[in-house]
Amino acid sequence: MSIERRKERIDRPIKAVTDDIFCLSSIREIAYLVIPRMLPVLGLLLLAFFVPQYWRKVMVITFVMGMMALSWDFMASCGLTSLGQALFFALGAYSAGAMNHYFGLPIYLSIPLGTIIGAIISTACIYPTLGLRGIYFSVVTLIIPLMLMRIVETTGIFGGTEGITGLSPFPGIIVTMAVSMIALWLTFFGLRRLIDSDYGHIFVALKDNDRAVEASGLSIRWFKVQAIFIGSGVCCFSGAFMTHYYMSIGMSAFAIDLSIFPIAASVVGGMGTLAGPLLGAIILGPLSEALRAFGSYRVVIYAALLGTFIVTLPEGLFPYLARKYQQIERWVEAPGGISED
Amino acid sequence: MFLSVLVYGFINSVILVMVALGFSITFGISRVANFSHGGFYVLGGIFTWYGLIKMDLPYFLSAILSILIIGALGALMYRVVLVRLKGLELSEVIATLSLGIVILELLRGLGVFGYEFRNPVFIDGSVDILGVGVGIQRIIIVCAGALLLILLHFFVHHTKMGLAFRGVAQQEHTALSVGINPNLVSMLSLAMGSIMCALSAVLILPLGVISVDEGYDILIKALAVCIIGGLESTIGVLVAAFIIGYIEALTSMYISSSLTSVVPLACMLVILLIRPSGIFGKSKEIEERV
Amino acid sequence: MGCTKTISKEGFMILWKILCRITLVLIALLFLASHVSFAAPPPIVIGVPSSFKSIEASEGLKAITLAVEEINAKGGVKVGNEKRMLKVESIETRDMEPGVPLADALLANEKLILEKKPHVIIQGPTRSEVLLAAMDLYAQYKIPSINNAVASKFVDQYKSNPEKYRHCFRMFDGKYVVAGLGKVMEKMNKEYGFKKAYIVVQDAIWAVGIANGMNAWYKANGWEVVGFDKYPTGASDFSSSLIKAKNAGVQVVFPIFDMPQSGILVQQWKDMKVPAIFAGFISPLMGSNAWKTFGEKIEGVINIVFDGGNLPLEKYPPAKKFYDAFTKRWGEMQVGHKPAVDYDGVYAMVRAIERAGSLDPDKIAKELEKTNMVGATGRIHFADHQYVFGDDPKVDAISAVYQWKKGGKRVPIYPDSVAEGVIEKPASMK
Repeated sequence: MSIERRKERIDRPIKAVTDDIFCLSSIREIAYLVIPRMLPVLGLLLLAFFVPQYWRKVMVITFVMGMMALSWDFMASCGLTSLGQALFFALGAYSAGAMNHYFGLPIYLSIPLGTIIGAIISTACIYPTLGLRGIYFSVVTLIIPLMLMRIVETTGIFGGTEGITGLSPFPGIIVTMAVSMIALWLTFFGLRRLIDSDYGHIFVALKDNDRAVEASGLSIRWFKVQAIFIGSGVCCFSGAFMTHYYMSIGMSAFAIDLSIFPIAASVVGGMGTLAGPLLGAIILGPLSEALRAFGSYRVVIYAALLGTFIVTLPEGLFPYLARKYQQIERWVEAPGGISED
Repeated sequence: MFLSVLVYGFINSVILVMVALGFSITFGISRVANFSHGGFYVLGGIFTWYGLIKMDLPYFLSAILSILIIGALGALMYRVVLVRLKGLELSEVIATLSLGIVILELLRGLGVFGYEFRNPVFIDGSVDILGVGVGIQRIIIVCAGALLLILLHFFVHHTKMGLAFRGVAQQEHTALSVGINPNLVSMLSLAMGSIMCALSAVLILPLGVISVDEGYDILIKALAVCIIGGLESTIGVLVAAFIIGYIEALTSMYISSSLTSVVPLACMLVILLIRPSGIFGKSKEIEERV
Repeated sequence: MGCTKTISKEGFMILWKILCRITLVLIALLFLASHVSFAAPPPIVIGVPSSFKSIEASEGLKAITLAVEEINAKGGVKVGNEKRMLKVESIETRDMEPGVPLADALLANEKLILEKKPHVIIQGPTRSEVLLAAMDLYAQYKIPSINNAVASKFVDQYKSNPEKYRHCFRMFDGKYVVAGLGKVMEKMNKEYGFKKAYIVVQDAIWAVGIANGMNAWYKANGWEVVGFDKYPTGASDFSSSLIKAKNAGVQVVFPIFDMPQSGILVQQWKDMKVPAIFAGFISPLMGSNAWKTFGEKIEGVINIVFDGGNLPLEKYPPAKKFYDAFTKRWGEMQVGHKPAVDYDGVYAMVRAIERAGSLDPDKIAKELEKTNMVGATGRIHFADHQYVFGDDPKVDAISAVYQWKKGGKRVPIYPDSVAEGVIEKPASMK
């Protein structure tokens, strides 16, 4: 009888220990849990000090785009896959820009106000479409930014094609990096906590089985509105931040580039787990900068990566890495042969 | 002036029909939203251009070759990419969209920009219709469009293959049990959709220049027509194309030429809010509405 | 099973060590290579952050390269006591592509500045919106620049803070298009009594600015403007404007387009048999290749070359000299804007550096203001940091307006100082 082998995957011993109260039993267990979380935070912090000036700017942009990826993933976890994150980004950006330009508010007021107003307007925009499911919702989110872009271009409101320039800048690169980094980690850890909490479970239930939610006496629409508000709020913050970072805002805030990036980051990093899109953003952000020399081919490589990942590694990088970290794979004997049915 | 709107609106509508037909066929039969429609369209035009201008082939041959290549490309895309993603709607959309972007941006990177990238019209000249001068190419497009619709109707309703297509669209498992291979049928439907896409490119692109941004535009227009008309119905495509075509013409003439590009988007939005399955779509109210 | 794991682990460690060592060596080599200095003094770097998908920008880059090669062949630029060569560093900012955010284009500008450290910038961003934002960037890094985006807003922005923008200069202003074409309209009015016009324009800030100016000119000079249509970039159906124009009996259609689709406008004009003359700016009809592409359809179209130096003007030798040099080096020029002014810009900047005797930005800026030299597009001098355009190439820079005539000849008809022919009616009007 030939010995057949199969691949077995089981949790690492240390993972089994840390799953329970015993995670506090020694430094080793605590480290096992804390290091994967602290490593990126501290690592990026250190990196921020050592990279050349130009790459610092790239890091700031990566953080902001990472927040957009997080917001996309959050909304996707609630069952709302939007193909138009650019919409929320632009609404936040224009709100902050308008606050700053037309009302003369200083930067530390215009960004928060821009975020909140942007989130309110985004929710209002999306509200009528909350009755749609699946692909229809995605298509609507794809076309609204395109439409708004054309309308801004034609009617010339908010500066039209030339946009609004000369907005107040950030006081120095240190402040910029600090704000963006803090905002990123707050969003990331905050959203993770949110999804894991009881309140967050309702959002996840919206995706899995929304009729169960309705049957429990909770209004689907109202919770979807809340999900959109939170998700778009994060995105609006990105928009408001970038407006002041570049001291200008224009029609290009609706660009399809901005809608594709969060999707690409999520596909590469792993949809559903908030850490995945962040990982994806951290990979794709500097990568797309490094590829700038290729000009238009950059988008080609981007899209090719996206397509390849979705076909070959649909779960994304993060689940793959997490699996390696938490489980061991090994070949074991399968006495009696592997059953074939 | 109203007569000219009538004439040009009609031509505009037929162009929309041709553009959207390929997309509608693919979605109607294999349930795959082929977001690389725009990419195939521009690629079809470029292959024709290449054959004609760079390799000095006769126009007819160049066009036929390009249409066949695009058809093969569509089938290949199904076989390699989409067959693995069957049923995962979002992944299909992303995969096809990224393929479309790869094609378009690759062309852009290779320098497809400028007036030299145009296919010449088949016959130069113009005729007077109802007092409006109309280029002969446009008349050819209208005739070809009508012919295509008739052929399509005949194919889908009266040939064995066409019936197989409809069978797979309605109930895949039942089709399987009567011996129709759904994978093969889906692959062929994708090939057919791509062939139609390339055919419309060959006919319509001579009216203007081949430009990469047009690819994105085409995708939006096809989406608009299919969604407004209902994703599985050919009549829907026809009616929706005429509605959008005429609204566009009227807007351009009487309101403002710069708002024309907003029309398909606005119409799409309106329909999605009132009746998401489209005018002629089979009403799936419960599945779509919450 | 445990044994296999240990061995592979060791092997892995060895491999990893080797990889680390190789990487370190490579990094060290790269570091050294980038810091090697030669005996000769470092070259003066000319930065060109532009969008070369736009054919005008890429032809402009060719003209800049031509100028740099000519200057280097003569030994370079004299800065104080030493002679230094010129070097061109360009970066593709993609600012002409519709989907590209402003921020992205600005980042590309910044990347060029931080990595290649240009001493000066010539041509600058292609899209006017980007230039207006980039001015702050150039002011922050104190880089003298002679830019080429056309929107009139540049002058307003400059005047709002001349001290901050003291290093920023600009070549061509859209308002000169109105001035030049206005004179042409006047001629047509005198010759043929034309009085009705229809404006068709691309919906971009520079084009609409020019069209507004023309509209005002028409109103002030007693013309009737039957329509003013804006088309978004990429539009390909102009039938509604042509139908309205034909019905109103319009004699002059005034187009301002630089997108490739505008060639369709001419095609439709011919298809619909509109009896009107085209006079304006249509980019695809500009160069000598247009006759090959369109054939005799375009006979009678009047087009304006923003910088006169881009036409081989028989009556102004420096223009012809530049045109021939460009043709010899790169093949025939196909655009009407950028090459000549960029070429002159390089020479103006180089002369300013030589007069200043150093690469100090403030000194260069001061000397640039005093520029007064013979260029390919006329006499180059600045007012409010802007080239001055006029009627006589011996006094100011000039635009040139030409008409396509039988046989594919581009005959200049304005200004009179360089004109070689008169305006003729197109076939559809005879």
